[in-house]
Amino acid sequence: MGKVKALVLTGFGLNCDWETAHALERVGAHAERVHLNSLVTGGKTLAVYQVFVVGGGFSWADEHGAGVILAMRLKHRLGDAIREFIAKGGLILGICNGFQVLVNLGVLPAFDGVSFTREVALIHNDCGNFRDQWVHLAVNAESPCVFTRGLERLELPVRHGEGKFYAGTKVMEKLEANGQVVLRYAGADGAPAQGSFPENPNGSLNDIAGICDPSGRIFGLMPHPEAYHHWTHHPDWTLQKERLRRQNVRFSEEGIGLEIFRNAVHYASESHGA
Amino acid sequence: MIARLEIALKPDLFDAEGASLRRKVKDYFGWHVGGARVVKILTFDARLNRYELEAVRNEIFTNPVSQVSSFRPLAEAFDWAVWVGLRPGVRDTAGSVALEAVSDFLQRPMADDEAAYTSKLYLLSDTALDRTQVETVARELLANDIIQHWRVFSRSDWDLEAGVGMIVPKVMPAHEPRVAEIPIPSDEALRALSEERNLALNPRDIPVIRGYFLRESVLQERRRVGLSLPTDVELETISQARSDHCNHNTFRGKFHYRDLDTEETEVIDNLFKTCIQSPTLQIKEKKDWVVSVLWDNAGVARLDDDHLYVITGETHNSPSNMEAYGGALTGIVGVYRDPMGTGKGSRLIAGLYGYCVGPRDYAGPLRPHLHPRRLLDGVVEGVRDGGNKHGVPTVMGNLLYHPSYLGKCLVFVAAIGLMPRFVKGEPAEQKRPNPGDLIIMSGGRVGKDGIHGVTASSESYSESTPAGHVQIGDPYTQKKMHDFLLEARDEGLITFITDNGGGGLSSSVGESAHFAGGARVELDRVPLKYEGLDVWEIWVSESQERMTLAVRPEHLDRFMELSRLHEVESTVIGRYEATGKLHLLYREKTCAYLDLSFFAEDFPQWEFEAQWRGPKTRGLSEPVFSEPEDPAGILHRLLASPNLCSREWIQRQYDHEVQGTSVVKFLVGRNRDVPNDAVVLRPVLGSSRGLAVTQTLHPLYGIIDTYAMVAATIDESVRRLLAVGGRLDEIGGVDNFCWPNIQYDPETNPDGRYKAAQLVRANRALRDLCLAYEIPLLSGKDSMYVDGYLRGRFGERHKVSGLPTFQFTATTTVEDIRRCLTLEAKHPGDLVYLLGVTRDELGGSEYYDLFSYVGLNVPKVDPSAARDLYWTLEEAVRRELPASCRAVGKGGLAIHAAMVAFAGNLGLALDLAAVPADCSHRNDTLLFSESAGRFLVTVPPERRMDFEAIFRGLPFACVGKVMEDPRLTVRGVEGAVLFEEPISRLRASWQGLRQG
Repeated sequence: MGKVKALVLTGFGLNCDWETAHALERVGAHAERVHLNSLVTGGKTLAVYQVFVVGGGFSWADEHGAGVILAMRLKHRLGDAIREFIAKGGLILGICNGFQVLVNLGVLPAFDGVSFTREVALIHNDCGNFRDQWVHLAVNAESPCVFTRGLERLELPVRHGEGKFYAGTKVMEKLEANGQVVLRYAGADGAPAQGSFPENPNGSLNDIAGICDPSGRIFGLMPHPEAYHHWTHHPDWTLQKERLRRQNVRFSEEGIGLEIFRNAVHYASESHGA
Repeated sequence: MIARLEIALKPDLFDAEGASLRRKVKDYFGWHVGGARVVKILTFDARLNRYELEAVRNEIFTNPVSQVSSFRPLAEAFDWAVWVGLRPGVRDTAGSVALEAVSDFLQRPMADDEAAYTSKLYLLSDTALDRTQVETVARELLANDIIQHWRVFSRSDWDLEAGVGMIVPKVMPAHEPRVAEIPIPSDEALRALSEERNLALNPRDIPVIRGYFLRESVLQERRRVGLSLPTDVELETISQARSDHCNHNTFRGKFHYRDLDTEETEVIDNLFKTCIQSPTLQIKEKKDWVVSVLWDNAGVARLDDDHLYVITGETHNSPSNMEAYGGALTGIVGVYRDPMGTGKGSRLIAGLYGYCVGPRDYAGPLRPHLHPRRLLDGVVEGVRDGGNKHGVPTVMGNLLYHPSYLGKCLVFVAAIGLMPRFVKGEPAEQKRPNPGDLIIMSGGRVGKDGIHGVTASSESYSESTPAGHVQIGDPYTQKKMHDFLLEARDEGLITFITDNGGGGLSSSVGESAHFAGGARVELDRVPLKYEGLDVWEIWVSESQERMTLAVRPEHLDRFMELSRLHEVESTVIGRYEATGKLHLLYREKTCAYLDLSFFAEDFPQWEFEAQWRGPKTRGLSEPVFSEPEDPAGILHRLLASPNLCSREWIQRQYDHEVQGTSVVKFLVGRNRDVPNDAVVLRPVLGSSRGLAVTQTLHPLYGIIDTYAMVAATIDESVRRLLAVGGRLDEIGGVDNFCWPNIQYDPETNPDGRYKAAQLVRANRALRDLCLAYEIPLLSGKDSMYVDGYLRGRFGERHKVSGLPTFQFTATTTVEDIRRCLTLEAKHPGDLVYLLGVTRDELGGSEYYDLFSYVGLNVPKVDPSAARDLYWTLEEAVRRELPASCRAVGKGGLAIHAAMVAFAGNLGLALDLAAVPADCSHRNDTLLFSESAGRFLVTVPPERRMDFEAIFRGLPFACVGKVMEDPRLTVRGVEGAVLFEEPISRLRASWQGLRQG
């Protein structure tokens, strides 16, 4: 079979598309940056892709709630195509603005399948500001998420103003019970941050940084895995380099963020091949 | 119908915006507000029925998980409510996005007269503030009169049914657009007209302008198109083209320079030509990586065999001074259009910032329009939104506090773009409109924004007139345009592109017409935000987010197809034609008909008298005081001082990693908070080639001598680039001058001659250093008139001139990003080297400033000696010998050693006796001198031999060691321990002054 085809959405203030496509290509996918209107007006069809990525950015300038307007447009113009894409086993990854879009679209957490209703929200950071910082993340081993298989901990940057994960008590309980919480903000030791700033950079309930749907094939997260596709992205890489040189150890030039994409591409190629 | 939708967070949710407001009220005024919540208001002036309104409320504008909303007032329990809304005509991106969303949801286009407006209601509770205090909060924190109006309601005067009422800030067209013909019977009449219409014509230009319109051949040709007297459109065109902003009359002026100490005189004909253009062209001859300089919107240099990088730097001082957020936002979004409009267009890859403002805690008698504290918060946020929402990493920047900037703040913004070397086989940096090409305007629409921006005064605005001179940039619209234009470029559809900035269409079309030999524009085709603009206003409006392009007729359909795909508005407004004329029409009637040759006519050169007195003659001297007994105390004070302390709170708000290109971030070290010398990007993912960038400014040295200031600034930029692993022979520069008025006037500018001499000396240094280090100036900008007139305590007004300021932005390539360095100490046991000579050069230093001294001995640069050292350092880095590298700059060795230590969470033991020095060995001199040409480097012991071998014969010494014990220990020249400070304490001092 050929390469896994991944679609990276562009247009209307989305960004991160170049590096997201690059990360996908690095792990063997064929990645295409596709403008939303190319999907809507029929030039491109979602059905021919196995991975659909809504990446970071400021769609519609984040006005009226981050991700709200893009979600509305996807729902009204591409609702059926998305439903079908999910039903056929496609993978959807929402990063940062994309995560905000997926929760507003209602494909996350989607307890009972895609309903296109909003059950959780990503609201303004408690600190009151946009923040760009690196965080430690702990991966929930119980989660069905296919994107995080084999990962226990990782470090990635967050870059957002509206990343505080919020939901009512019942929804929170259900998320936890289902193992749909995939990533939590943590300390350097991997223990959940328990709300402490800046380890939990936005005040997210239960330190939630990412969730998936019950199938594990739809995944949304605030941190940016595509921003750690190369070892020189890590804030400490010059130190790591010196340490490893002195120990005569060779180091991988990959950043751990690539693993998320690699998992997706593996899963897609296996399920496609099967 | 008009409907007001109110949206708020559910009452049990933490309101982060409200909490920020409470913090700021405390921080700005010292007042307590126990509770603050924000209600967002969306006012629809649109034909929406009840069902539609209800549908958009539920489906779009209310998040059922986190928000509540109503078409009735939501506010109930509060002590005070402050409503803040935009004035008519002020860019309301959220409002237009709301309308776009409604249109999308209802699947019907909205009519031109339908609109949505956003505003906010702040609810304050648990507070003892009285009405006057709440009004102060409204005026000095929440709203800016220039762009916003506000109302204060107490709980008792709040109408539960009406709430804030229905406020629709619609622009009311004043009259039918028209073209005026204006008689100019005498020079005096034209002078008066210039005054009256704010044309700012130079008196020397006036006879030339009149002469043109009186010329018989001109009159004859004009008659043929139905014109006789000059029209308002024509005079406005001339005003724009001849303005200092567009024409750089100051830098192109003639300077009669006289050194009053030596009686040396020199006439410098055109600073731009002699100090910028000529050295750059000389260097370009030698450097094949310099691709395109001195003519386009930005300079172009080669990154690698397949890619070019594009760079420019701008300032946006006056607008930011009036409306900090909007001005800075417009500034960064505006400078981003320069690389977009360079060559056939480039993709933006980085933005940089620099702020010079008055003291944050200023409490003196002068009344600036915005207090420095509020001004700085505003510009920080403006650049944040502009960069972040554009998807461009804001990679690094400067901040300098000085009382001279109370008069006018400085906001520097720089932009870097990337383009392929070839587009469809043609060199990407070239562009040229051909006769027959269509003139297209893409992006935003035209309104009254920015008309006569700089000269407009704030007093003349009423409730229903557009706030013309201050604009609010819209990164969303521009990002869409950016993505669209790159696709159009790659398909080879663009033959010429430039941005609409200062002067609007009059500049973009006017300047590009020269390439094609003429242009004809139908101004009634230009899409407007609202009706009621006069024809000349359409032509000179500086409404943002617009580009002007030349597209061949055969490419039009495809161009428009792409434009529609990206939902960007593009309009054919005319055609280039080889007529030699700038021909403008409105509704088929000619309203301007000017010979292009007229703009190249013999306009008299501006002339300036420049008189220099050396610092000694001006009475500057070295201060007399003994060596302090507590140098550690001084170190703590300096680390905590406003100009050296942590600025993490700024950089943290900027997305500096988007695009996945960051290699060396601005903030580094174990706590990721210490500013590195430069940043490094990897613009082409997958390649190992990097681009290093840095910025430097040192206005305090200019108090002693602007020559030394510019020399030290450039030298430091060079060192900063080398410190991260950049190449010495591929350094490009961008010069930004911000200067007070230099035209002598015995009453209004009595020291004008001195300021002119300062400018001459600064330019001489620019020329000398660029030639010495072989730095071509890829781009640059001069902003004159950094003067403010501030109200004093007794109703008098004081002129406050900003320090002559020179910011240098420098770039270079990095051969292999894997060899990049950061400043922090990496490993205990590593040796610490100081490269370069320390001299008794404390003039203009932070150390002297602590005691309110200026001093005399300003740091001087010896480029020829420095170059040998720099080449060697480059070689050492290429061989990966150092583990860290820091260019020693402001604050001197002590400050930078402290940073190297606490950035690495390691100690340093330094021995001042070992410092290579050419001065009296006073410990404080060695610790705090700001001598140029120095680096602090750490090297592992096993690389010591190699490192020392290559530096043999150069001024360097091992001055200490990296220690496991986390303390900075300094031995004095006598051998005894001078001080020993835990790095945690040093870091705490450095972080202390201000936190987020």
